[in-house]
Amino acid sequence: MADVKVKLEAADVAEIENRIIELCQQLPRGITDQVIQNELPHLEPQHRAMAINRLLSTGQLDLLKSSTGLLYRIKDAQSAGKIKGSDNQEKLVYQIIEDAGNKGIWSRDIRYKSNLPLTEINKILKNLESKKLIKAVKSVAASKKKVYMLYNLQPDRSVTGGAWYSDQDFESEFVEVLNQQCFKFLQTKAEAARDSKQSPMIQRNSSFASSHEVWKFICELGISKVELSMDDIETILNTLIYDGKVEMTIIAAKEGTVGSVDGQMKLYRAVNPIIHPTGIMRTPCGLCPVFDDCHEGGEISPSNCTYMTEWLEF
Amino acid sequence: MTQAEIKLCSLLLQEHFGEIVDKVGTYLLRTGSQPLRLISNDTGTPVDQVKKALCVLIQHNLVSYQLNKRGFVEYEAHHDRVLRILRYPRYIYNAKTLYGDTGELIVEELLLNGKMSMSTAVKKVADRLTETMEDGKAMDYGEVSSTFVRLVDTHFIYRCPAPLESPEGVAAPAPVAPLLSTNEKDMYTVPKLSMIGKGKRRRSSEDDDDTSEQQTKRQKKEADSKEALPDDGIYWQVNTERFHQHFRDQAIIGAIANKMDQVSSEIVRTMLRMSEVTTSSNASHTQPLSSNEIFRSLPAGYNISKQVLDQYLALLADDPLEFVGRSGDSGGGMFVINLHKALATLSSATLESVVQERFGSRCARIFRLILRKRHLEQKQVEDFAMVPAKEAKDMLYQLLSENLVFLQEIPKTPDHAPSRTFYLYAVNTLSSSRLLLQRCYKTVANLIERRLFETKENKRLLEKSQRIEAIIASMQATGAEETQLQEIEEMITAPERQQLEALKHNVNRIDASENQVDETIFILESYIESTSAKH
Repeated sequence: MADVKVKLEAADVAEIENRIIELCQQLPRGITDQVIQNELPHLEPQHRAMAINRLLSTGQLDLLKSSTGLLYRIKDAQSAGKIKGSDNQEKLVYQIIEDAGNKGIWSRDIRYKSNLPLTEINKILKNLESKKLIKAVKSVAASKKKVYMLYNLQPDRSVTGGAWYSDQDFESEFVEVLNQQCFKFLQTKAEAARDSKQSPMIQRNSSFASSHEVWKFICELGISKVELSMDDIETILNTLIYDGKVEMTIIAAKEGTVGSVDGQMKLYRAVNPIIHPTGIMRTPCGLCPVFDDCHEGGEISPSNCTYMTEWLEF
Repeated sequence: MTQAEIKLCSLLLQEHFGEIVDKVGTYLLRTGSQPLRLISNDTGTPVDQVKKALCVLIQHNLVSYQLNKRGFVEYEAHHDRVLRILRYPRYIYNAKTLYGDTGELIVEELLLNGKMSMSTAVKKVADRLTETMEDGKAMDYGEVSSTFVRLVDTHFIYRCPAPLESPEGVAAPAPVAPLLSTNEKDMYTVPKLSMIGKGKRRRSSEDDDDTSEQQTKRQKKEADSKEALPDDGIYWQVNTERFHQHFRDQAIIGAIANKMDQVSSEIVRTMLRMSEVTTSSNASHTQPLSSNEIFRSLPAGYNISKQVLDQYLALLADDPLEFVGRSGDSGGGMFVINLHKALATLSSATLESVVQERFGSRCARIFRLILRKRHLEQKQVEDFAMVPAKEAKDMLYQLLSENLVFLQEIPKTPDHAPSRTFYLYAVNTLSSSRLLLQRCYKTVANLIERRLFETKENKRLLEKSQRIEAIIASMQATGAEETQLQEIEEMITAPERQQLEALKHNVNRIDASENQVDETIFILESYIESTSAKH
């Protein structure tokens, strides 16, 4: 028995492996044990397992779990080629990073998933980086946290922060400028509508601008070096809503109308605030930082209040 | 009631009624209802002084009394009424804008005296108006009383509850505290129904007779002392609720005018005026009004066609402000004004304005954002408001420490572990409004303190200038020469004059601010009241 086994191994192992790979290539979606059994009926289960194990360990096959059972699939030659010459640990780390996609993965998470010591992981990561297989990207969420992802991937918005970030720094000035420009645009439109002296209904309707119009205006202004999408502009317009300067309505639009999304169009218009600064804020007490410590007869009191004195002299 | 409120009440009482009334009033505010003896004991004030103070307070409707089960009388102060003293200038000013100088003086007299009979009020006002007029002219009583009647007609003034004249009153057992017997009898016989209605018409007719009888004011003054007044025992007082309703309407109209335009605000004004009588002051909506009705009631000066009016109404109903709502289609469309919603919006606009002024517009953006989205996580706030994470964190914590936003924890697991808990920021307008209201009270108290301080500092100077003015006036009356007058005027040196000017400026400014803060107080109070009435 042992004799037969040795003989088989020596002569046929390569052949069996080739057969399995061929099968996999024929069925790129993956094959099950059953398929191999059907194709190679004379093969003993032991040998089949051995052959598959070898293929798996050399990284030529992927083992997947599906509803019908285990599934073998051939690995694409490219990725197999890339990590050629690496050891198992490197492959493991590479796989973990690959699974993380364009969101990236933190080195500590790699450690949890791979169960390798951190020093080892750092070595592997350095290695892979030097081979240009992976890259480290700084996340905007936490400036000191580096995440790793495959070299050819474009980092996700949640990592880079989208158009509003340059090198993990939030471009608040850029946002502020856009915010002001959008408001200016809407305000001019609203004023023009008010001056048109038409019936109130038309006046209001013409004070609205769709997000597409605002987007076009901003693009033509050319204040932005990066390409802004409509969504980006809508985010800016939303901040104007939270500033209480703009209001939005959604109207139904015919499919295909410029600026409509899913048959909806977002319309924005500039509005005036409903009240002037309220009475209490026109007194020094409204803004006083030591208001709670202020008592007549105390160290801080209305009688010796310097804010009041300045205010009265103003 | 809070410390800030008591402090403010005390200052107001002190300023308007003096030390003793302040002592008694503040004591009552602090302790709740108390009998006379206890007030006297605890405040260390002689009983007759306490009695006088209570008389003043009762006359001004600041204190009410009631019989305890054990048979003694208890006095209770009402802090809300005391705080209204702050609003007196506004009542008077509004009466002036609505009914001219006569209205102003009538309301002023009534406020200053608490309760007054119509005849004395009319007489006094006519006298005062005559004084300001040129020689030879005099204010007609009839004119004054007609203004008075108009004020009553529009519910700005109403009749005080009067003692019921029932035979039982005589037979009532002697009260426990003999000193208070009259009060006690009154107390039991106060009819609440005789506010307006019939009594009012009778009064005006009687008063007309009254005025025709006595032509000039000199004659009248003599008559005063001789004969009892015809409307003795029927007293009138200012209906603050009605004024508040008017203020509320004005605030709504103002908001519409700011947000939309003049014409819209005029339409809303018309709607509010139409529903003044039909809607009770604490209703959450006005009665529905049809567009046809509104069209007919628009002021004559406004040349709006029915079509345009309909457009305006549609716009008003469509606006996200939701002050005006459409309730039906009959009669060309039925419209209501959502009073509660309007107050809530005004109040949150006030809060927003406070955040904006105190913490800057970025913070206001975050505040509005949370207000709109109700509950948000910190990360979401940063993303929506487009504020750098670090700044947003700072601002949120600042708002949190000032109690303008609060933090809602939602644990995923029962152990409340921070890593497995959602932390949601939210705004509670009602509690924030209450908080701000307290701040307003303290602010007004501070302003009053400062004003008192300013006048106290310059007391000597003020007295001097008053003395000199008196001397000049008397010398002018005796016909002194110009040079003499100048000499006396020069007794106030230039720096002193400057100081007086500065003082006047300061006091005026503080006074103006007190009124401004009161506007904020009014909005917040109305909102809190209307919200608590709803639940």
